[in-house]
Amino acid sequence: MLITNPLNSSALAFPILECFHIVGFALSIGTIAVVDFSLLGIGMRRESPAQLAKDTWLWTLGGLVLMLFSGLLLFSSDPDMYYLNWAFLIKMVFFVSAVVFHYTVHRRAVSSDIPPGNGKIVACVSLLLWCGVIFGGIFIGFIYPGLSIG
Amino acid sequence: MLLSFAQWIQFTAFFTALRGSANIYPIVMSLHMVGIALFGGMILMTDLRLLGWAMRKRSIADVVEQLRVPKRWGLLLTVTCGILMAGSKAEEYYYNAFFRTKLILFALVIIQELVFYRSVYANPAALDSSPGIPANAKLAAALSLLLWTSIACCGRGIGYIEPPLDKIHAQLRFVNTAALVDARGPSLPKGWDY
Repeated sequence: MLITNPLNSSALAFPILECFHIVGFALSIGTIAVVDFSLLGIGMRRESPAQLAKDTWLWTLGGLVLMLFSGLLLFSSDPDMYYLNWAFLIKMVFFVSAVVFHYTVHRRAVSSDIPPGNGKIVACVSLLLWCGVIFGGIFIGFIYPGLSIG
Repeated sequence: MLLSFAQWIQFTAFFTALRGSANIYPIVMSLHMVGIALFGGMILMTDLRLLGWAMRKRSIADVVEQLRVPKRWGLLLTVTCGILMAGSKAEEYYYNAFFRTKLILFALVIIQELVFYRSVYANPAALDSSPGIPANAKLAAALSLLLWTSIACCGRGIGYIEPPLDKIHAQLRFVNTAALVDARGPSLPKGWDY
């Protein structure tokens, strides 16, 4: 017997999940941006990036978890479409890169109280990767797999 | 009057081009979301700090004062992109219940800011020197959280309503037909005669 995804039997499920997705990425990307801006010398300058990272890491993680789980549920509503959607694939490449970068290179760059010389480059790469995720997410809705773009 | 303004603005050459572009429109929307991620995230952190839930090792003054300028830039980006999107579909947005709600919530957020400006936002150092976080600061933060998340959710909702403009036009019987012909070209709904 075919079991239908309960998400697809309610018209409200998808938009409500999208709202959680938005709050999730505002929280995660917003907190990461606070640290990145600090590496660039913008915004919170009285604290070191290391201090800010310690202040925000739990909120970043919480936002990421919220974004990821709402995203997985959104994906489950129409997996074939997402699989064929090149914007979605690009988004996933950016997302995996951004998360890996965040918990490796980025983490090392902000872990010492004196940011390394390449701190600004790390901040820019981090911000660009997360922007890539956002752009990919928006373009998903403008692409119709199997049809011409537009 | 507001309606004819909406019709006029969306059929200006600029917004007609924006509406018809395959790539510029989604790019503007993406930048709107980038603004939400940056600005929205900073709003959340400020409010969570005022509530005493986040960044407790930092003083309230540090958070409020230092995030003020980046938040303004983020807001500018988000609002600019929002106006570009709303302008290109102004007539549709005029009828859109979520867009109307969003504008009302914006008015409320401005009132919230004005009401709490002196006691909370203008002098955050005073909040640090009080024994606990004052109740009105927490109230301001809770209202801000509620209003801004509602604004974001209403924004998402806009895309789910498509006001039946053709039916509305048919009922109104008076629309700027010249502009409609100009913008819609050969794809005009059936049953139209000028």
